[in-house]
Amino acid sequence: MFKAALHSGSGKPRRRATVSSPHKPAGRKLLEWRGRIDQHFGYGSSEASRSLYLEDGGQYAALLQAELEQPVSLGTTIIAASYAGGVVLGADSRTTTGNYIANRVTDKITPLAENVYICRSGSAADTQAISAYVQWFLQQHAVDLDRHVSVKTAAKLAQTMVYQNKNMLQAGLIIAGWDKQGGGSVHTVPLGGTLLQVPYSIGGSGSAYITGLCDKLWRPHMTQQECHEFVVKAVTHAMARDGSSGGCIRTVTISKDGVKRDFLPHTRVPIAYGEMQQPMSVGA
Amino acid sequence: MSGIGTGYDLSVSTFSPDGRVFQTAYAQKAVDNGGTVVGIRCKDGVVLGVEKPVASKMLVGGSNRSTYPINQQTGMGIAGVSADGRQIVNRAMQEATQYKGFYGEVIPGYVLSERIASYVHLFNLYWYVRPFGAALLMASYDSEGPQLYLIEPGGTAHRYFGTAIGKGRQSAKTDIEKLKLTELSCRQGVVEVAKILHTVHDEEKPFELELAWICDESNKEFKRVPADLAAEAEQQAKAALDEDMDS
Amino acid sequence: MFAKAPSHSTALGPGCAGPPLANPQQLSSAQASAHERGSHQPSCGAAPFAVDASMLRSTGSQPHKHTQSPYVTGSSVLAITYAGGVMLASDTLASYGSTKRYKSVQRLVKVNDSTVLGAGGEISDLQFILNMLDDLKTEDYCADDGQSLSSQELYSYLSRVMYNRRNKMDPLWNSLIIAGLEGGKPFLGSVNMIGVAFSDDHLATGFGNHLARPLFRKRHRPDMSEEEATALIREALEVCYYRDKQSINKFQIAKVTASEGVSISEPFALPTKWEYKAFVDPTRNAVGVW
Repeated sequence: MFKAALHSGSGKPRRRATVSSPHKPAGRKLLEWRGRIDQHFGYGSSEASRSLYLEDGGQYAALLQAELEQPVSLGTTIIAASYAGGVVLGADSRTTTGNYIANRVTDKITPLAENVYICRSGSAADTQAISAYVQWFLQQHAVDLDRHVSVKTAAKLAQTMVYQNKNMLQAGLIIAGWDKQGGGSVHTVPLGGTLLQVPYSIGGSGSAYITGLCDKLWRPHMTQQECHEFVVKAVTHAMARDGSSGGCIRTVTISKDGVKRDFLPHTRVPIAYGEMQQPMSVGA
Repeated sequence: MSGIGTGYDLSVSTFSPDGRVFQTAYAQKAVDNGGTVVGIRCKDGVVLGVEKPVASKMLVGGSNRSTYPINQQTGMGIAGVSADGRQIVNRAMQEATQYKGFYGEVIPGYVLSERIASYVHLFNLYWYVRPFGAALLMASYDSEGPQLYLIEPGGTAHRYFGTAIGKGRQSAKTDIEKLKLTELSCRQGVVEVAKILHTVHDEEKPFELELAWICDESNKEFKRVPADLAAEAEQQAKAALDEDMDS
Repeated sequence: MFAKAPSHSTALGPGCAGPPLANPQQLSSAQASAHERGSHQPSCGAAPFAVDASMLRSTGSQPHKHTQSPYVTGSSVLAITYAGGVMLASDTLASYGSTKRYKSVQRLVKVNDSTVLGAGGEISDLQFILNMLDDLKTEDYCADDGQSLSSQELYSYLSRVMYNRRNKMDPLWNSLIIAGLEGGKPFLGSVNMIGVAFSDDHLATGFGNHLARPLFRKRHRPDMSEEEATALIREALEVCYYRDKQSINKFQIAKVTASEGVSISEPFALPTKWEYKAFVDPTRNAVGVW
């Protein structure tokens, strides 16, 4: 059910600059619906938001409607790092349309194949389309090969799409995974469609705030645990300074032993300089 | 052949009542009557050898090639109608280039063999085409190690430790079975292939021997066997043959 | 065959064949009457073939946009000939705008046993070019005739590729230097993103044109020894590092010689000089300056 809501949001036509009628009922409906979803899943205070949504004659809804007309974007922090024997991918969970957080628990780490994952940044629609294509190609390819696909091939497929459509796409990708030939490897595909294999890579708007931190903290031949800590720390600090990144931290660890997902809810993300620890909530 | 004159052998789109496609069988015959082609997979690579009957004394040596590189890590040896074989070789080159352009990696041997087999098979399906009168031995060396494949006119592809096609295939195969391929190096393999081809060629007619390999010694690239090594192998083959005759 | 009627392109002016504009513009009355009056007709009486600049612009004063712009870029490549060989040098940086993002990208690439390609500009386009050259190399290999493309042939080929792409208004955003031995003699050729191609015995791309080539003009001789050539290249690299903001002190040098073929060095750093006394207090003897 929640998935469906995510799709209806990101499936809207993007890059429509015009603001439509302020009293368009569809917009209000949408917000109301989102409020209900939040309530259903226990996110946010429903009473407060409901009054905001509905009891001001639609003005607030109109403003938010304008926000929702913005492209759905993964203003993001993503990262992937290799360690001895595998890779760790990490990402925040924030998706925005303008200043509105369209999704606060996004999963930006998408599987391309059993052994290869991708971190997506840029336009949600573009990166979803690219990922879906690569998934499809790799499925075919795995049948041809009768074994796991290589990380390099996955990266090359994504790269080709970004390169050949560079005028139309807004996608910064990090492809990482494990295969028999190359072990754990990280490949980065920035905006123009360059393909580079790197020891680690950061991407998205949040990465600008942590380049120095990562240069300082990353070491070759880390253990899996050290690498995981590095990834979480990097994303934490990016989220602390980048308004377009936030929420929770998701990580995916891939090695010869398989794939392991981890989820760090917002309440357990370490507090950075200038921030304040929230009080213990009742349920915790 | 029993099909002759019955009308069932005119097209690949017609089965005979006992379930055979004569045109495909005839294409295979074109291969079986041609010069012998031998391929063996040794411990460090693959060796291909082609026996090329010299049709005329006026023929310029080495002017009719029978082994072709497909890319740096794959090569083919043609048995049967060499013009047909070349068509398949060209297709293989295209497939290899296309695969690399799309996936960013060299096409694995078995993927290429299957693709080529599918291509060859197409010519067994429509009345307006004839099957290729050529079979191909394909040698490749990729991350999975050295491999040898045989693609036949019917559109089949099989992987072999060692095999032979063409006129002398039966005795050549018997000879190959006697080799310890897991212990043999390609350098030794070249000599064995030369011996086999000289043995099966029992006529007085002259022939040219074309040898190609892909192995660690050739830097994992498909190449013609260096001239000096090929000459030496042929010399040893002849010597061994003379010895056999004497004894 | 019937001759094809020319389609009249508003960009090229009347009487010229060519594709129509993507966004065709109506002629203004002034322009239309100018056409009618024949003001575009050359005085020699030949058919006109002039690009009417006003027609290349879309509405207002907005200039036409390029079909793309570079994202991940490399900076200068330097190249000189010397006695019996050629030498290329570049740093290993791939910038992302002004961010020094990827610091270990090799921009000097061995194309075949007698040729090296050095490239600045968009790295994805460079990778495209390299894939293309790789296919050419495989084609050469399959011909199995002992022939491979010479440096000059590669240079000609690349100049055609670059010029073709710019004519499609979709340029490959690179400056290339092709270096190798042509008939045993050193050869250097440069091609840029708009297809301008020329050959010289010392070359540079990007900032190197302004920083390194003056040095080359002064100091380069075709009969330099390898040691002299290395010293000159290193000095030029040092200058580029001081004055090109998109550079890092991590370089590679490539050589092509008859005896050793192509060799590309491991990355190395150069010693740089910052210890001058005057640097500590640069305004000491200049009162009132910053």
